[in-house]
Amino acid sequence: MKHYITEINPNGTIAVDDTILVKEYETTAGSKILEGFVPLFSAEAVERLINAGYEISGKTNVGEFGLDLLGEFSNSGAVCDGEYLVGAAADLIAKGEIKGALSVDLNGAPRRAAAISGIDFIKPTYGTVSRYGVIPCACSGEQIGVSASNADGLKELLSVIAGHDDKDGTSLPAEKYEYSLDENVSGMKIAVIRELYDKASDGVRAGIDSFKEKLTAVGAQVEEITFSLVEAAQTAWQIALAAETCNNVSRYEGVKFGYRTPNYKNIDELYVNSRTEGMNFLSKAAILYGSDVLSKGRYNYCYDKTLKIRRVVHDAVKAVFSEYDAILAPACGETAYVPYDIKDAFSRVFAESIFTAVPNLTGIPALVTNGVQLMADVYRESVLLSIAKSAEGRE
Amino acid sequence: MNKDKLDGLQQLNELCLTEDEQTVMLDIFDRMKVFEDRMQQIDTENVEVMVHVMPMVNVLREDRREQPFTRESLLEGAPEHTEDSWQVPRLVR
Amino acid sequence: MTKYEIVIGLETHVELATDSKIFCSCGGHSSANEPNDCVCPACCGMPGMLPVTNKKVVELAMRAGLLLNCNINRYATFDKKSYYYPDLPCSYQITQWFHPICTNGSVEIKTKNGTRTIGIKQIHMEEDAGKLVHDDWTDTSLVDFNRTSVPLIEIVSKPDFRSSDDVLAYLENLKAMLRFAGVSECEEGAMRCDVNVSIRPEGSTELGVRTEIKNMSSLASIERAIKYETARHIDALERQTEVLVQETRRWDDIKNRTFSMRNKETAADYRYFPDPNLMPIVIDDEWLDSVKASMPASAAQKAEEYKGYGIADKDVEMLTAERNLCDLLDSVIARGCNPKDSVAWILTDCAGILRKNGQIMRNLNISGKKLARIITMVGKNEITRAAGKKVLAAVIEKDVDVDEFCRENSLNAQTDQSAILAVVTRVLDSNAAAVQDYLGGKQKAFGALVGGCMRELKGNGDPATIRSLLEQELEKRR
Repeated sequence: MKHYITEINPNGTIAVDDTILVKEYETTAGSKILEGFVPLFSAEAVERLINAGYEISGKTNVGEFGLDLLGEFSNSGAVCDGEYLVGAAADLIAKGEIKGALSVDLNGAPRRAAAISGIDFIKPTYGTVSRYGVIPCACSGEQIGVSASNADGLKELLSVIAGHDDKDGTSLPAEKYEYSLDENVSGMKIAVIRELYDKASDGVRAGIDSFKEKLTAVGAQVEEITFSLVEAAQTAWQIALAAETCNNVSRYEGVKFGYRTPNYKNIDELYVNSRTEGMNFLSKAAILYGSDVLSKGRYNYCYDKTLKIRRVVHDAVKAVFSEYDAILAPACGETAYVPYDIKDAFSRVFAESIFTAVPNLTGIPALVTNGVQLMADVYRESVLLSIAKSAEGRE
Repeated sequence: MNKDKLDGLQQLNELCLTEDEQTVMLDIFDRMKVFEDRMQQIDTENVEVMVHVMPMVNVLREDRREQPFTRESLLEGAPEHTEDSWQVPRLVR
Repeated sequence: MTKYEIVIGLETHVELATDSKIFCSCGGHSSANEPNDCVCPACCGMPGMLPVTNKKVVELAMRAGLLLNCNINRYATFDKKSYYYPDLPCSYQITQWFHPICTNGSVEIKTKNGTRTIGIKQIHMEEDAGKLVHDDWTDTSLVDFNRTSVPLIEIVSKPDFRSSDDVLAYLENLKAMLRFAGVSECEEGAMRCDVNVSIRPEGSTELGVRTEIKNMSSLASIERAIKYETARHIDALERQTEVLVQETRRWDDIKNRTFSMRNKETAADYRYFPDPNLMPIVIDDEWLDSVKASMPASAAQKAEEYKGYGIADKDVEMLTAERNLCDLLDSVIARGCNPKDSVAWILTDCAGILRKNGQIMRNLNISGKKLARIITMVGKNEITRAAGKKVLAAVIEKDVDVDEFCRENSLNAQTDQSAILAVVTRVLDSNAAAVQDYLGGKQKAFGALVGGCMRELKGNGDPATIRSLLEQELEKRR
């Protein structure tokens, strides 16, 4: 059980998940297939932190390509606190060993990890933080986010890394973003999505209830709404994620870098055996499912439909935010997870993604604090940060 | 989805599942089918596809040449290479 | 016996003339010297870099579309195509599947059977793959990613060709047009074709079974491949030698026949989908107009213009075969040089120097400013024509400064009357026989005396001054 896949500096205060490149340090995305891969450049977000004087402590453990719940299917093994799974970076922050971390949110893993460990995490608006240097899986919705022990920490780190980067063709034009912790929460209207609330366990619901009380206490107005598209969003994101992952990880085949099987006589065996030995079943399941939804006979039914549903969900979310400042929802279905068999991983992660899919599918920001998840319209990170800040220190 | 199609998918993706894994995979396809079918109920008539969630157009760079990485550094992590090329088992005879 | 009609369609890949690749800043194919010296992490499939489109690629594709009378689509996207091959580092190629940049064009070809119009279905942009070199000594294949992501356009024709002559005429025309318009250098191997062949009984409108011969670059091979393939199809239909299937085939230049390629490659499902990392390209009127305005005149337009200057047809043909010659001529004319005079300098003098160095006209690389300076100096008798040729050679070979070179090599024409007079006197004194001949009425002797003076002046004497002083001095000796 290792928190770090690669240690860099024991005095460093910021951890970087192993799905993000740090120049000259082995970066594997938690996968055997990338064993020995040493990047020649750092991610833009890492570069900006280093230029601002932060020191990187090391590369934190993640599940292979970041596809699992909390990192349980990393090639380096799961990280646990007692019998329960924890996210490596989140656990280090919860224990006070580091100040913050960078993670890629592609299917909610860092949001779940923050909820489980009781720390804060924010996935900002898609395109505000450069994806240059992210080991790619689901480019259309994955985003670097930051975790810290509180809202001030999130604001501090996000302010450093956000802003336009020419090297990422989807990077939004604003050079800098000003984030605030001081927006007036009193008077804000916050919607709780009933479909998600109902899906969560009692423990998680209790967390939502107590957060609602805190919000009410600071003068916000909390209302329950229905948002019937959550399941469609979950399915659509699963399809997009699997298809894009299938395509992006097809570059790992034992030819150019990383793992090559010792068992081959020809190119076909080199490919099949390197990939089969180098990746876990969750990745393989995503690849095969993703390949199928893009296939000639299935494209229209699955992928084209997904891209249309993305717009439907996007428009529906916009409509919610025309009435409400934020959405309050569970970040995950349970308050704790124990290790489980990888054969169940695809279905379990898919089931959990119902809580996290909308921000990945539509690009809106999401913040986890006090074990709950908040979402706001694009560019409205300050709403989320201010709500998180106002809830701090209230029991 | 069936066993034959799954074989084809494995070939197309250069993967080889164990018998056990194939059984699980077929089950995954069955489960996802339920969700795919339910997703069809949402009306997307006259809805344009949305590939990019934050739409921009014409993100272009000027035609300028830069060569900051050396061949040696790129080849360093190669499983097998000569002094100037990556190396694989011979393809055609 | 049934007569058959051959139906051929072409997919032509053309390398674009850019300084850098389509999605990264590495140098294009032509800048590579050794394997893998124009590569970056993206070119060798390493994760983390993101594609950003080269603007010039889009503009050259638009230019090609304009040349081939296509619709330039206002909305174009990039898509990903997946398959495994060691020359494809990411195991996907970025191309245009859903919304290509140009559609629905046409081009005229001239063959011995007259003029025909070939329809263009579409033109799309895409990245090239790398190259494999097979090494017998180690029994391995070596992978070179220099060509990876080099920008290409693929020009997809309609199935409008009826003979290999049509195909060759089309390809030659395409090559000339694209090169002249600066879309592609069209160097060896920069234009590659996939040839789709089928046959049908004459009069039939249905298409027969189609086979695709992949990746052909030499015109001679294309011609032979088409002939082989049509014969194979006719044999199959007439004599049931085999059952034709729609498939991809490879041409073997040594065995002189086509071969079926591995089934795996033909059965591939490429799983195209829109690339989330590349935003759509939206072409508005303003952009399209600026690309139109920057289009160089076509060879035909240039030819008209030059004929208007009174330049001989044969010369016009030579000039308009190469864009660089037209650019050079236009540049010297713009600097006030006489067109006919300038043509002689380019097609006679420049050509001679290149030939001597084993080069062809396409290699001519001289600034219009320098050539104009030489032509002007000769025209004003500041240097002699012979001296002008000397400077020209130095400029072509070493790109020297014209004025400096003339000064350093004392090429400036002697117009100093007293200096030339001294030489004339000396020449007349030592050529008494020629003087007598001249005075005796033999005009020819005058030429010999001029030559003598020129030699004495090392070719730098102003001929007009020499002539007038010679006449004057000879008269004195009558």
